[in-house]
Amino acid sequence: MLGRLAFVAGSVVAVIVATVALVGLFMLQRPGTLEGPSTSIHLETVAAVGAAIEWPRPNDPHLDWVSYLPTTILRVPANSTINVQIDQEDGATGLRNPFWGKVFGTDGGNMHVKYFDDKGNPQEGDMTSIDPTLAAHTFAVPDLGVFVPLLGISDNAPAGSANIITFSFKTKGPGVYRWQCFVPCAAGTVFGNGGPMQTLGYMAGELIVS
Amino acid sequence: MFRLEGQDRVHAGRLAVIWVILSVIGIVAALQIHYPPYDNSVQGADQSKTMALMTVLAVPIFIGVVLMLVYSAIFFRRRGLELVDGPPMLGNTPVQVAWIGISAVVVLFLAVVGITTLASSSAAQAVGAAGRAIGQSGETGSSTAGGQGPELQVQVVAQQWYFTYRYADYGGVETTHLYLPLNRPVELHVTSLDIIHSFWAYQLGVKADANPGVDNVFHVTPDKLGGFQVRCAELCGIWHGHMADSDGRVVSQSDFDAWIAQQQKDEADIQKALPSYAPYYFPEPLTKGS
Repeated sequence: MLGRLAFVAGSVVAVIVATVALVGLFMLQRPGTLEGPSTSIHLETVAAVGAAIEWPRPNDPHLDWVSYLPTTILRVPANSTINVQIDQEDGATGLRNPFWGKVFGTDGGNMHVKYFDDKGNPQEGDMTSIDPTLAAHTFAVPDLGVFVPLLGISDNAPAGSANIITFSFKTKGPGVYRWQCFVPCAAGTVFGNGGPMQTLGYMAGELIVS
Repeated sequence: MFRLEGQDRVHAGRLAVIWVILSVIGIVAALQIHYPPYDNSVQGADQSKTMALMTVLAVPIFIGVVLMLVYSAIFFRRRGLELVDGPPMLGNTPVQVAWIGISAVVVLFLAVVGITTLASSSAAQAVGAAGRAIGQSGETGSSTAGGQGPELQVQVVAQQWYFTYRYADYGGVETTHLYLPLNRPVELHVTSLDIIHSFWAYQLGVKADANPGVDNVFHVTPDKLGGFQVRCAELCGIWHGHMADSDGRVVSQSDFDAWIAQQQKDEADIQKALPSYAPYYFPEPLTKGS
């Protein structure tokens, strides 16, 4: 009788501990927030967290995951112009829907790109679209109508270099706006849309407008 | 012969009167409800009317069941401390016949309504009076995509986690919002570029599975100007709850013509990179760097 009671009590305790651990260690875990005192956001995109140049995360549990860095939780002011710089270090994967090769929703309807061409020569210019097959990622905030394709780094670009993409867009009223990548860039997952694509802090993010 | 006598007759009469009064009140009340998905399209109006019919038929049955429970609880409750069995009840053929008969009539009536509606939809399609049918087969490769029929051809392209739209009759131009002209039958071709989604234009009464490699054909005829919401109705990943767009619009034909012309102009640079309009597309690239 005592043994059965002890077994039941132990099981209950184990379930409680497991539940608390699940909630505390997993469900409530969120990446840090990038709180810009100004209206500028600076991000880095990498093929693998472990290969990050600007914001390394050596203790990340998924060092081989593709990611935006340093975080994907961004807090910005409402009804403001947000200036974005993305240092794009990943190679091209290509868009599943070529339509997202076009820039939507930015000020002027374009973006400014410093990149390396096929021969590895530095180039620079304003673009309204890119070749969809050369996209590495996109920065998309659908509820704000913002879709920006990010040109993949050329194979002949110098080691450790990045394409620098800058653009501006305007926020609306307060709210939480998801942002995402439309390139199936999560290697090794179903249709390239699993893992980091479905995890906050990697390729899934929130734009907290307040 | 089944006969009610004495107090039973009083109870039955009282129940019948209350049931009739409450049912009439309930039916009148039910007819005042504006049933979803409302009447922003021919198909939506059909669905609303069907909902109203179902409710009107269900009200007397619901009231009858609840009334019997409440009435029994009031008049046939145990009044003392002593537990006493009620009188034994054996099979009652007239009651059973009435029960089965009424149920059969209700069910058969609804079946006839459904079959008639479906038959009339098919007939409408067959003679080119498009826009009445709710949905057709979604067989792989069965599309009439790009055809210049009487209906406006619009392809709904689902992807994690957004819907885009291609207008076959306008060079396959792709857009981020769904605009439809008023009173013009529309043939929606719903497909997906990755996993299973569900296209739900709630106010238009359209809900269609979006499957990769499948052309799911639906018809809708918007008959009211205004906005409508589109959202995904199939759990599809982290941003499923955000896979929505509140900027769907039903506009006049002239406004639609101006809008689609603007879309063609604005997106000329990316248009040439789009694949040829097809009934469906397979996920490509499959994964990173492929």
